[in-house]
Amino acid sequence: MDTGTLLLEFFTGMVLEAFLVKKDEPNWLMVLRTVMPLGLSYIPIGLACGVLLHAAGFNHLLTALISVLVFSGGAQFLIASMLTINAPMTTIILMMFFLELRYALLGSSLSRYLKGQSLPFIFTFAFSMNDENYAVNYLKFATDKHWKPSQALLVEHYSLMFWTVSNIVGSLIGSALTINLQVVDFALTALFIYMAIMQTKSRLIVLVALLSGVLTIGCLVIMKSTLGLVVSTLLASLTGYFIERYLIAHKPESHLLYKVHDPTGQSAMEESDK
Amino acid sequence: MQAAGSMSSMDHFWLIIFCACVAFIPRFFPLLFFTKRKIPDWFNEWMRFVPVALFTALVVKSVFIDSKYQVITTGNLGMIISAILVGFVAYRTRSMTLSVLIGLGSVMLFVLLFHI
Repeated sequence: MDTGTLLLEFFTGMVLEAFLVKKDEPNWLMVLRTVMPLGLSYIPIGLACGVLLHAAGFNHLLTALISVLVFSGGAQFLIASMLTINAPMTTIILMMFFLELRYALLGSSLSRYLKGQSLPFIFTFAFSMNDENYAVNYLKFATDKHWKPSQALLVEHYSLMFWTVSNIVGSLIGSALTINLQVVDFALTALFIYMAIMQTKSRLIVLVALLSGVLTIGCLVIMKSTLGLVVSTLLASLTGYFIERYLIAHKPESHLLYKVHDPTGQSAMEESDK
Repeated sequence: MQAAGSMSSMDHFWLIIFCACVAFIPRFFPLLFFTKRKIPDWFNEWMRFVPVALFTALVVKSVFIDSKYQVITTGNLGMIISAILVGFVAYRTRSMTLSVLIGLGSVMLFVLLFHI
């Protein structure tokens, strides 16, 4: 057998290893398997981000630092593009503030799963929380009764590792790499579509999603800032909450409260806190 | 170090520190507040609608809104088709890996090959 075939078999084995469910596997491996799809989609995006930061004048050390301290694809892309158009520091920080405000929502909605944790834990958890690992963790907390805060923190640290290493590599290869941002960015979009689909357990939630989509376009165009994301999320989720309250009180037979069919039949998606 | 812009590495360093603070505050304080107090039921009920609204908002922003906050009317057909495809794959298979891989493959095909 030649080395090529051997290498191929080894690689296939590694990939299978990463995705197959196995009994009695150690915790770190099980969590790594959970975070793998996110980690893999971080690689092209992190590379692109590193390339852009390098072009904006960041050295490798600064790129590593920003990846660990800010740890947000959207924010790092924004900083890179603002630096290349020579925007003043105060403008960048102000834009960052509005961009990052939505994390208040992420933290609030995860808080019920992290009750009773120590202050250092909350501090560490908040420090490395971002859209993507929040999405992975929220899904795990909502569908897996045994998902623990310590595992959620491990998800954050794995994703941080994938992100930082990709950024550094991107920074090192610099302009030798041409990356189509539109294509690369779609990895995250696909991830969020998947997450949104996994959340649609009732017809009312489908309605909230549609409403949020329409509101997002309106709010972003009017407000000309990512604050539009926060406003539309607040409005759509509040509307959903009030409709549900009204229906449960007045029309419990409403079609809106029907469950959405799950074609895989694995409706073990019950809320762990119910 | 003057590859682009007029800032030095020291300026960049402080920029990162300030951005890290600005990023940390909204991540930390709401989380701290709500994990240390009894959360009212209505708040939990409301928060159940937040993820789906947020994820949809992020998707709609990246597919339909450009960096100048204007609605994209041309050149995003490939992304729209890919997004629908990903939604279908996610609904049928419930697999995150498949959804991301098929999404990336599809958007490469449409955007890089067909330029739509």
